[in-house]
Formats: sequence, C-alpha cells, structure tokens
Amino acid sequence: MIRVNNLCKTVVTGGQQLDILKGISFEIKAGESVAIVGASGAGKSTLLGLLAGLDNASSGDIYLHGKNISVMDEDRRAALRARHVGFVFQSFQLLPGMTALENVMLPLELAGRPDPVGEAKQYLDKVGLAERGGHYPRVLSGGEQQRVALARAFAVEPDILFADEPTGNLDEHTGQRIVDLLFALNSQSQTTLVLVTHEMNLAERCDRILIMHDGQLREESVVSSAI
Amino acid sequence: MIVRGMRHLIRAWRGGELGLLGFSLALAVAIVSGIAGFSDRLSRGMEQQSHHFLAADRVLKTSRTVPDVWLSTAKDFGLRTAKLASFQSMVYAGDDAMQLASIKAVSDDYPLLGNVGVSVELFGAADMRSSGPKSGELWMDSRLYALLDLPVGGEAAVGEKSFVATQALISEPDQGNMNEMLAPRGMINFADLAATGVVQPGSLVQYRYLFAGTEEQLARFEQWLEPQLEEGQRWQDVRDGQPAMAATLKRAEGFLLLAASLGVALAGAAIALAARRYGERNTDNVAIMKALGASRRQVLSHYVTQLTLLCAAAILVGGTAGYGLQWALFASLKEFISVDIPVASWRPLIVGAVTAFACTAVFAMPPVFALSKVSPLRVLRRSDEDSSAGLLASALIGVGGLGLLMWWYSDDVFMSAAVLLATLATGVLASALVLFAISFARRSFLERAAGALRIALAAIYRRRVGNAFQVASFALSLMVLSSLGLLRTSLLEDWQLQLPADAPNHFLINIQSSEIAALESFFKQNALKDAGLFPMVRGRLTHIDGQNVSDIKDIEASSGGINRELNLSWAKDLPDDNSLVSGSWWQDLAPSNSAGGDIVPVSVELELAEKLHLKLGSALSFNIGGQELEAQVSSIRRLDWSSMRPNFYFMFPPQSLEVYAGSYITSFYLPADKKALLSDLLRQFPTLTLIEIDGVILQMKAVVSQVSTAIGLVLVLIVVCALLVGVANVLASLDSRLHENAILRTLGASKKLIIRGLMLEFAAVGLLSGLIAAAGSNIALSVLQYWVLDMDVTLHAIVFVFAPVIGVLTMCSLAWLLCRQLVTQPPLVVLRQTR
Repeated sequence: MIRVNNLCKTVVTGGQQLDILKGISFEIKAGESVAIVGASGAGKSTLLGLLAGLDNASSGDIYLHGKNISVMDEDRRAALRARHVGFVFQSFQLLPGMTALENVMLPLELAGRPDPVGEAKQYLDKVGLAERGGHYPRVLSGGEQQRVALARAFAVEPDILFADEPTGNLDEHTGQRIVDLLFALNSQSQTTLVLVTHEMNLAERCDRILIMHDGQLREESVVSSAI
Repeated sequence: MIVRGMRHLIRAWRGGELGLLGFSLALAVAIVSGIAGFSDRLSRGMEQQSHHFLAADRVLKTSRTVPDVWLSTAKDFGLRTAKLASFQSMVYAGDDAMQLASIKAVSDDYPLLGNVGVSVELFGAADMRSSGPKSGELWMDSRLYALLDLPVGGEAAVGEKSFVATQALISEPDQGNMNEMLAPRGMINFADLAATGVVQPGSLVQYRYLFAGTEEQLARFEQWLEPQLEEGQRWQDVRDGQPAMAATLKRAEGFLLLAASLGVALAGAAIALAARRYGERNTDNVAIMKALGASRRQVLSHYVTQLTLLCAAAILVGGTAGYGLQWALFASLKEFISVDIPVASWRPLIVGAVTAFACTAVFAMPPVFALSKVSPLRVLRRSDEDSSAGLLASALIGVGGLGLLMWWYSDDVFMSAAVLLATLATGVLASALVLFAISFARRSFLERAAGALRIALAAIYRRRVGNAFQVASFALSLMVLSSLGLLRTSLLEDWQLQLPADAPNHFLINIQSSEIAALESFFKQNALKDAGLFPMVRGRLTHIDGQNVSDIKDIEASSGGINRELNLSWAKDLPDDNSLVSGSWWQDLAPSNSAGGDIVPVSVELELAEKLHLKLGSALSFNIGGQELEAQVSSIRRLDWSSMRPNFYFMFPPQSLEVYAGSYITSFYLPADKKALLSDLLRQFPTLTLIEIDGVILQMKAVVSQVSTAIGLVLVLIVVCALLVGVANVLASLDSRLHENAILRTLGASKKLIIRGLMLEFAAVGLLSGLIAAAGSNIALSVLQYWVLDMDVTLHAIVFVFAPVIGVLTMCSLAWLLCRQLVTQPPLVVLRQTR
C-alpha cells in the first residue's frame, strides 16, 4: 500500500541546511497498522506529511496505492488523497464555521459522493454523535471534536488513514476512548493505518512500530516480537 | 453548483468573516447606484425642464405664417401643436395713457409644456395656469400696468380691439429670450389677433409654432419638414435657458460624482482589508480542505463562487439602499425640483453591479487567489507565512482598478488621474513614513520603554507591514473626508460669495446719459444699492479673420455671439469681477501689440473665445448701427456669469466706442418688500427697460442650500465608509492580538496594561493617519481647486489639527469597541480557539 525508497527531506533554515529525513526506506502493506514513534523533532510529522503527499520530498520515492506521488503535482496528489486517504489530527482541524455534520460532509463533497448528507449522518452515528450534527466545533468538547474528526476521516472509506498524535490534545480517559474508537473503525473498514505518536502504549496497539531518531528509521519492529 | 455555493456562503456568513466584506460591497453599490441614479434622473428631469423653457419640445420660428398642411402633418405624426405671434404694438388705457409693448398672441393650446404664471396683484406671487388668456382678455406684466397707470381689471386696447386686463403676467415658460424681456409685455388670445388690426402685410411679426411629442415623432416630423424650410425659418431645439443655474447644478453633480468615486475608494479599502482578514481566517480551512483532497482549482472555485454570490447579494441589498439614497436626495431637493422627475432607470443598478464585481475582482480576489496557494502541510505544522507577500501587487491591482472605475464614473481622465495620484501618493508616503517611524521608535525607545508603551511599541513593530497598510488606508479615508468637507465648505462659500444676500436682482437698461443723475438720485433716495453704470452699444459680429461668420462651418451653432446683436461695452479698467486669462489690458499693451490705425483692441470673454476659436491677435469686424468697426483680440477674460452684475462678451477701450450712440446698463438689489418702488421708478423713467431676475436668484439660492443638504447626505455616507475602513483596520489584527494578549494575560499582564498598550498603539496609527491625511487633503484640494473646479487655491492649516484628533479618537473608540474581548474572554478559551 505504501512503499518508501531512500526518502530525504532537507530544509534551509537560518542560512543552514538541515537534514530532517536522511534516506528512509520501508514498506507498509494493505490493512496493516503501523505506528511511527520518536522523540520530539525526530522527523515523525515530516515523514507523515510526505507520506500523505502534503509536502515534497527532497529526494527519494513514495508509492501510495501503487502510484509514485513524488512525481505528482499538488493537485494530483490532492485528488489521490480525496479518493484514498483519511486524516486525523492532534488539534482536530475541524472547520469552525461548519457544524459537525457539515465537517463530515466536506470530504464526501470533495470526493463528489452522491449523498454526502446521508453518509455523513451515518458516520456521525457510528461515533455516537448523531444528535450533535447541528452543533459547531466550539460547543463540542475535545473528545467530541476528535470523534467528529474520526467520522470525517472514515466517511470517505479511505484505503489509508493517517493519524497524527490523535490523543495529544485529550485527557487520558478521553484519549483512551478515542483510540478504542479509532481501532474499532479501522478494523471494521480494514483501512491501512499510519499512526504518528510519542506514546508507546498507543503505538503498541499497532501491528508494527517504526522508530524515528535523528531523521533516520533506526528500528523497525513487529510489535508482537518487540513485546 | 449555485445551490452548493449558496450553502457554502451561508456557512461562511455564519462564520462571521463575510459580514464586513459584504457590508462594504453593499455600501459601494449603494453609493454608486444612488448617486448615479440621482444624477441620471436629475439630468433627464432638467432636460425636460429645459423643454419647458421653450414651452415645447421644438419650436419653428418664422417671420410669416406657415402652410396649414405643416401643422396637420405634425398632428398626423402624433405631435401636439400650438402657435403664437409676437409683435410690438401700442397699448392704450384711458384717454391719454399709451405704451409700446411686446404683445404675444397665443393659441388655446399654448403652452405645450410648462405653465404661465399670473397674479391679480402687480409684482405678486404667481398663480400657475396651463393656458393663456381667453378671447377678450389681456394679460399684461406689472411694468405695463405701472406704465399705463392701470389697475388689474381695467380696460386697455391693443390696436383696434378693447380688452379687459384680467391678470398681471408674472412669468412665461418661454420668456428666456432676453430681447422679449426688455419691453413691457402683454398676452392676448390668438383668436383676437385679426380683430386688433395690428398685423398687416409687411408688419414685423414673429410667428412661433410649438411642437411636443416623443423624440421619435419629433425626429420623423423634422425629417419631413427640414427640406421645406426656407430662409428665415428656424427649427429650434432645446437649449438650456438658465446657464447660471445649469453651471451650479453641474458643479454640484461633479461634486457628487467625485464624492461617489471617493466613497468607492474608501469602500474599496474596507473591502481589501476585510478580504485580507477573510483570507487569513480561511488559511487553515484551505489547508484542511487540501489535506482532505481538495485541488487548487476546487479551492479557487469554492471561494470564487462564494465571493460571486456574496457580490450578487451585495448588489441586491446595495441596489435597494441606493434607490433609498436616490429617494433621500430627491426628498432633500424637492423644493427646488419643480419638474416631474423621470422614473428610475436600470442604468444606475448596472453601474452599481459593475462596481461590485470590479471591487470584488480587484480588492477581494487577490487574497482569495493567495489562499489557493496555501500549503496543506499547515495542518501538521503551523507556519507563520508571510502575510505581507503579494501586498504590493494587490495594492497596485486595487489602485489600478479603482482608477478605471473613477474614469468610468466621471468620464474625466484628468480628475480620475488627480484623485488616483493623490491616493497613490498618500499610500506610498504613508507606508514609507510609518515604516520609518516604527524603525525609529524601536531603535530609540523600545529598550528604554516600559509597561504599556513597551507593549504598544513591540506590537507596532511586529505588525509593521500590516500597520503601514492600515495607516495608508485610514489616512486615505481621513483625507477623503477632510478633502470633501473642505471642498464642500469651499464650494458653498464660493457660491455664497457669488450670491450675497444683496446680490443685484433687477437690471435696468436703455439708460440715457441725461438720465444718469436723476436715476442715481432715485437710488439714493430709496436706499437702493446699484452695481454701477456700464456703457453699452448694440452691435453684430460679422467677420472673424476676414471670413464671414455665417460661412464658418465649424463654429458651434450655439455660439451666442454670432447670431444676434450683442451688447458691446467699454471701460478704462478691467471690471472687478473679471480676470485676464491671456493678453493684456489696454494700459499694459505694448505699442507694437496695440492695434494700430483704425483697428481697435478688444477683450473677449473666455468661453465665447473658445467657441469661436478666437486667439490673441484674431481680427474681428463688427457692424454697429450700420458702421463697420475693425478690432483685434488683445486679451481674453474670464468672467463670472453668476455674479448678477452686467457682464459683456466684448469690451473695448473707452475712446473706441464713445463715438457711437449708446446707452447705459446697471443692476441693483431691490428687497421683496420694496417691489412697489418699481411702479414709481417706471413712472419717473418711462423709457428705461426693467428686467426682473429676483425669481431666478431666489431659485439659485434655493438650489445652493438644497444642493448643500444633498452633499451633506453624501458626506454622511462617506463618513460611514471611513468608519468601515477603521473597523476593517481594527479587525484586521484582532485575531493575532487575541492570541498575543491571551499569552500576556497568562503571564500575568493586567487588563489595564493591555488596554493601555492597545490604546497607545491605535492612537499612534490614528495620529500618523491624521497627519498624512492633512497633508494629502491640502495637496489634493489644491489640485482640484486649481485645475478642475476653477477656484482659487487656499491652504487649510486647521486640518492639521482636526484630522489627527479625529484619527486618534476614531481609532481608539473603534479599538475599545471591537477589542474588548481581548480582555474579557478568558485566556484559556482564547488560546484554545486560536491555538
């Protein structure tokens, strides 16, 4: 589902060249759940951004759903995301001017789905927020906002779901419930999950863990054997 | 797509970012459509009114009757017709009273347009009638009653027929012809004309056939008639009967259009600021949309559809408000506008719609285009993208678009360019000054400053590019306000100077030199103020540079100087209210330039010189009482036709015309309560010709005061625009302020400290804006006064006090009103909302 060959990302900051990713290669199979863990500044989010086609790599190739997104322009990558990718973010990233229902409808509309309202309602129901579709993000709790974000991510039935620190802005109890929901939805839809986190207990729920350190993938371990 | 766009628009509206943008757009539409509609309807109304000055749409003037078939054909074409004959005749009253008068015999349908004003009191208030006298009735003007010593209701005879003088004739719709105003006037029914026995073969009679109908009917009839017209028969079109009034209104209309242009400039600045904020607030949304798979095209289409629909809504709301503005302007001028104002046309709404789309395209679209370039990576890593990127390009697009709009409104490249250059100069100057001032303040004070001042300085420095744009836009709005305010005062003062309370309201002509002493004594006895006596000789311009004027094809047919006898005058010195545009007055003429031999120098009025293509040195020939006079143009004068003083197209040196038998002219002010003195004056000086223009002056004064009300109304709109710019300015930085101040409060800064810092920052913005506006408005006003409005240039130092004070007060008040949430919202809530 995802194949990465010798991926590098270099930025120039303050006149100095900074290598964030230094020749990373790995592969994620369809239906797998993979956690990318590492300390702050290790390059986790950069890797996630590149995998999702949100940013351009300095060199190397990324194959998503069999297509090399490194050679695609921004619009083609966006079209690929609309068809195959879902997102869950640490800060929820709901559009404040839209209700919960409208937020879930947004990717469905972008993908040109025929019944965005019906499908969005169905997914809000799945995350237990059927009654709160008309509410704006500002009146929802953090946990509720993240559940709306989950509904939005799964509504388009993506092949791949990228989750960036999905519990980072939540208390432990709420975070746990969100993680449960995330994995439940993931298992229902057989989506490939790429999860960026610094919480090992969350990472351990995935099939594999990729550990980032100083821009390199230092260790790749299968959870069961690591445990 | 539209339904989806509407849904998105409603969502965005609920988000609160579109309110200011929509309101600014609607305001631009309201101002433009309101003022365009007002001036369009007023022009059409005035055109109709000018038809009333003819008493018809077209007039056929002839010295003999025309075949009946002409009138029957006109009727076949659907035209209404009337006829009248004017001639000079003695009017007799009693046994020995008689007076030569100008008599007009009118048919029953006269006047086709306008009304005849009559009264049962001499010099009384007019009672408007839609037709002339019935058979057997004679209506005479008050002068004729006075000269004949006859009361209203008395008997008088014209030729062989006796009439009952039933009414005093106060006004006629077609009395614009000065020659007809000279003699005392009488009006009878056309049916009585034959019975008077006055009109015989060879009599000097002028017939006028009046026609009224639609433009199409008139054009068809004209096409039929034209080949049959003979020498001496003139088909007369509408010409403005009252140039002074037209000039006043044209100036007011120009002012309103200028105000509209500047209103749009201000609304444009508010739109640009609001759109910028809209863009900034949507940056994260676009990043999310892109992360969820939206392409650049989809993002663009989403926002362009939203703005287009917003624009359509603004046209609807603004167009309705513009209609309301038209109504309010007409309501404020209702006493002056005596004619029926035509119904509103679609044109103003089209002008408003084009304005809305143009403003959206040039002011609101650049930030939206910038949105489409937002990186989706922002969802993962928030980067402080440079919000000043593209600012210069956006500003240039905005200013360029604005210039084109102004040009379109005013159809005046020069005025548009002047306003635009002033706008650009203000923008560049303001930005440069602000950036310099900020850098200077930071270098000089930041290290040493403490508390609120330090917070303010740091905030100003952090947002220096945004602040430069804010100061430029707010300075522009203050500049517009102060320029228009000053211009209005200046225009009103100008008008009032031209029309002082004791402006001459009566003219006396045909004064013989033997009567001067007695007349001056009459004025003195009755405490009347006259404008001085001016000599006058009647003459006709026959040749220009040796060419007969009737053969000069490219001279405008309307040129007042070639088709009639002119009043020529002479004076040793240049009259007080005249000013030389080129050439020299007699005393300053070099011997080589002064016309030698039998050729005398002549000074020509500017507008006539332009119409006749006269230049210094042009050779003119005049026929004065059968004698030829050769002259050479030695100077060109500008004179003020609104001054109500005797003015002359051609003026000569004293010795050149004194040989011709002439008379004198004067004008004087007669208060309304002394109108009865006119009877005494005319009895004492029966040969003098009196022309009453007090009605016209009253009308002009009414115009001035009512136009000033209308301008005041437009100024209110401009104030609203300026406030909008202020609001947009404050809101532009509200989000980042919320975040920064929440952090400051979390770190322990008191509300008082934050508010003080905020007030200092906005006071600085207001102060700088005010100072720049004061300088800019003085420059802009000088340019407008000198090159556009033909007025004297005056500098207004007071603006350097007013504009900064208004700037500081406005910015601080708006900051207080709009930024209270900076200290009222709990910091945690703010930090959560703004991340």
